[in-house]
Amino acid sequence: MFLAIRELLFAKTKYILIGLIMVLTASLIFIISGLAQGLSSDNASAIQDLQADALIIEEEAEGEIGNSFIPADEREKMIEAQGGNNNASTLAIRMMNTTINDADQQIDIALFATERNGILMPDVAEGMFPQKADEVLADATLKQEGVRLGDQLQVEENTSYTVTGFTADQRYSHTPVVFISNDELEQFNAVAVQGEANTDGSYEVITKETALNGIPSYSQEQASLNMMIIFLYVIAAFVLAVFFYVMTLQKREQFGVLKALGAKSMYLIRGLIGQVILLSLISISIAVVVTFGIGALFPADMPFTLELETMLQPAIIIIVVSTIGAIVSLYQVIQIDPIEAIEGAAY
Amino acid sequence: MTLILDHITKAYTDGPNEFKALDNASLEVKAGEFIAIVGPSGSGKSTMLSIAGALLSPTSGKVLLDGENIAGLSSKEVTKRRLDKIGFVFQAAHLVPYLKVKDQLNIIQVLAKKGKKHGNDLLAHFGLKHRMNNFPNELSGGERQRVAIARALMNDPQLILADEPTASLDSKRGQEVVKLLADEIKNRNKAGIMVTHDERVLSFADHIVTIRDGKIE
Repeated sequence: MFLAIRELLFAKTKYILIGLIMVLTASLIFIISGLAQGLSSDNASAIQDLQADALIIEEEAEGEIGNSFIPADEREKMIEAQGGNNNASTLAIRMMNTTINDADQQIDIALFATERNGILMPDVAEGMFPQKADEVLADATLKQEGVRLGDQLQVEENTSYTVTGFTADQRYSHTPVVFISNDELEQFNAVAVQGEANTDGSYEVITKETALNGIPSYSQEQASLNMMIIFLYVIAAFVLAVFFYVMTLQKREQFGVLKALGAKSMYLIRGLIGQVILLSLISISIAVVVTFGIGALFPADMPFTLELETMLQPAIIIIVVSTIGAIVSLYQVIQIDPIEAIEGAAY
Repeated sequence: MTLILDHITKAYTDGPNEFKALDNASLEVKAGEFIAIVGPSGSGKSTMLSIAGALLSPTSGKVLLDGENIAGLSSKEVTKRRLDKIGFVFQAAHLVPYLKVKDQLNIIQVLAKKGKKHGNDLLAHFGLKHRMNNFPNELSGGERQRVAIARALMNDPQLILADEPTASLDSKRGQEVVKLLADEIKNRNKAGIMVTHDERVLSFADHIVTIRDGKIE
């Protein structure tokens, strides 16, 4: 690294410029990752964080919870088959419009109906656990719509619920989830099971992953964002590959001299790879700071989740693809002949 | 004898023809001896220097450096011989553009993985101490060539090879540089070979060897 570091310092401008491109690309990768993460939770955190390992749905539903309809009188039999209420709960999901305390404004919510004391009821973050049939636990993002503890949520003509508590991170299909008791429902969508699920064949067992992909628009949303991220990885690799390729071509004569003086190809290659990794590391570190800065400017209700752990994976991928990009130049370095240092000797 | 080139032939194929850059050339250089190789362009003098410097392997013949035939060694071994036993002074100095003068010398130690850096003593000896933190583009042509000579001495080689050391210098600076090179070779008891066009510096050499069409005359 003796040569590599001194060259970076000497040719500052070139390396700062290429570093800037890397910072921008890495920032974009982090921001889109944050957006993908945020949209994913916004769309499905209620399913991702569901206190269950598997879901039993109708076979005809083809993996989509919303298409599965099981009559309410099957409930007891099915719960019993899974070992009782400590192992399984039913789940019914309905997308509804609601108004708060008879105001005019309509809000979209997702009603999750389940057994009041069943395994699916999330923990209370604020307020009290619902006790009566018309008391409900609501996702805390409803507070942004002006909902307070004790407020009435009017759904349909003559049904209204009282919010007694808020819970965290329960969103479904980009709307806040409200947990209600399932006492009066005629049908439900699925039975959620902790541990191994047993079925007699007329039902299908799906994982939470499958259930996620069955949420309308979930996989399309994630796929398009992931495609952008993959393209950015490829762009980062190409930009660095071309830059270091041209740099290596420019340094041809100099590499010839160094080889004539006794430098091994391996030494020069280590320097090159070292430069790529150093450049990527510094660019990524700056990009992390930039991304957190930009993230702080986003409005609070924007679905954007940024955590250092989730940035680690893209960071490692950027370093790996950058290094792969540099491999194009390695061949150049290897095939430079030290004879090029002597004018007129190479034929 | 430090260097013996024994019946060296270097042949290249040029389409159907074979072209001999060196034809059965022999040369001996002993420690403390400074030889100048002259000849017209394309005569084979650069090829001779490259073979002596282990940058090129001959088609036939032996290259004995310090008693060892380096003509048949692997490229890895050859690189090591260059690092340990040969010092080069290139045309136009060929310094590394992004290294300060002191690092131009230290790089040799880094490559040789030797801990002790005696670059400063050499720079002082060559009157370059005040320039040690300058980059090559801040030096004059004569200073650059002096740094190149100091670099060639850095690994304490047995053989010093100079390729047109005066090519980018005016005649006064050229003479100074070659005199310095000749003095160092004498005082340090090295074997030296210089390829040159410049007749004004031939007086510093112990012997002058003329090559024409790949043959030594």
